[in-house]
Amino acid sequence: MRSLLLSISFLLFMSVVQAQVKTDVQIGLSRETVEISSSFDGTDIVVFGSIENADKQALVDGKYDIVVVLVGPKEEVIVRRKENKFGIWVNGSSLRFGDVPSSYSVATTRPLAEISDSNDVKILQIGLENLNVVPDEDFDAIGEEKVFKESLNRLKLSQNLYSESIGGVKFLSPSLFKATLSVPANVPIGRHTAQAFLFKEGKFVNAQFAEMQVKKIGFEQFTYDLAHRNGLLFGIIAVIIAIATGWLASVIFRKD
Amino acid sequence: MSVNIFVLFGMGAGVGFLSGMFGVGGGFLMTPLLIFYNIPPAVAVATEANQIVASSFSGALAHFRRGTVDIKLGTMLLVGGITGSMIGVAIFSSLRSAGQLDLIISILYVVFLGTIGSLMIVESLNAIRKNRGNSDTPTELPKQYTWISNLPFKMRFHKSKLYLSVIPVLVLGMLVGVLASIMGVGGGFIMVPAMIYLLRVPTNVVIGTSLFQIMFVTMLTTIAQSATNQTVDIVLAFILMVGGVIGAQFGAQAGQKLKGEQLRALLGLIVLAVCIRLGWDLINMPTELFSIGGGAGH
Repeated sequence: MRSLLLSISFLLFMSVVQAQVKTDVQIGLSRETVEISSSFDGTDIVVFGSIENADKQALVDGKYDIVVVLVGPKEEVIVRRKENKFGIWVNGSSLRFGDVPSSYSVATTRPLAEISDSNDVKILQIGLENLNVVPDEDFDAIGEEKVFKESLNRLKLSQNLYSESIGGVKFLSPSLFKATLSVPANVPIGRHTAQAFLFKEGKFVNAQFAEMQVKKIGFEQFTYDLAHRNGLLFGIIAVIIAIATGWLASVIFRKD
Repeated sequence: MSVNIFVLFGMGAGVGFLSGMFGVGGGFLMTPLLIFYNIPPAVAVATEANQIVASSFSGALAHFRRGTVDIKLGTMLLVGGITGSMIGVAIFSSLRSAGQLDLIISILYVVFLGTIGSLMIVESLNAIRKNRGNSDTPTELPKQYTWISNLPFKMRFHKSKLYLSVIPVLVLGMLVGVLASIMGVGGGFIMVPAMIYLLRVPTNVVIGTSLFQIMFVTMLTTIAQSATNQTVDIVLAFILMVGGVIGAQFGAQAGQKLKGEQLRALLGLIVLAVCIRLGWDLINMPTELFSIGGGAGH
């Protein structure tokens, strides 16, 4: 419901904007699939783009700003806080968040606050502090929700799943740009969306989306699929490997 | 998760060395080490159960060839063990969804390692003192007329030359099964003393019979953990297995050159050190109070 309202408002917003100017942004990804093999330790995704039908003078004057975002599949997350009980630190209060981007990488031409101080970035949910992540449950203590949400972002940042790169978008010519976004080693598998937002003098102009698939390949894919789809069979295979290893050891090191 | 294969192999070999030297399973050292290395406790416990399958299999095989396994007693222990393992995996799942699994694993380890480490040090220090003093007085087991011999449902175990109630056997097997699935241990460190002191099993069949039970219980635990919690890491387990079996060979050779009492005192110190580290992590204020977990698991 929330996302529906958001997309309606977003569409209205875009149609109003487009009626005035037809300035558009086009993007292409350096790769549309990221394959995770056993040796995968993260990579970079380059998003190339161009500003089309733009106001020539504004382009030359550098009045356009670009924000590129790479968002991973949504997930449900429980944030827990440790509390001291009887002298030991135990998980105390917790808060469950639905629709949390499993990964979120944002690159901008300038700091977000300089690009737009209006509500545009809030409505479009650009930047970590503007992500519309709402708890699934009511939380009694007012102000606590904010602490849990900030902790969620902080932990995601420390796991390299969230990242912000000011200046990560570079203009190659007045209308051509290039954004480099990092894909961490622990990137969640599934459908990721690259989103490019065009701003002109602090106002949102237009946006363009592109999709990227992250999938496991080879041995990684085999074990992952098996463990998650057929845990029983996976467990039996794990036991057989263990028996074989134990048997082999007794053959190699047999003394009698 | 990004971890170093060589570090894991080294940990497997190091713990394997100790288990070969002291003749213990090593699960109770390996699982805390994996947790110290930032492997999620849930994964450490389930994966360690998988590793123990390998080490207990080769151990049980050697005892089977020597004829030092009481199959009937082992089977009765196993019946209890299967029940315990199932109960343990269920407890494991519910603790995990409540966000308290890591805490309970740590507390169980602190209690067990603290108790066993202290007992080992006290016992070995006494032995060392006795050796230095006058003649060696053989420590005799107290007579068998305890409450255990009054229990009903008696059964004859020919190999162990025992006629005793199945109740303590089933209960012991079950307790060890619960520990295997929650703590990621074989449980030999509880089962062996309990078999010797409570059940009066002859020492020549104790190790083989307990390995027989541990092997099947950890097999079942691995499968049950994988099916319900998807926490078995097959690659991690394999690295640990290979490191473990190699380390154990060298440990066994080193163990023959050292004196028994000093060895036990040394192992007691290692066990206490691990206990203190885990206990410190419980009482010391963590730098990050918050943690995140998946709603449906990763």
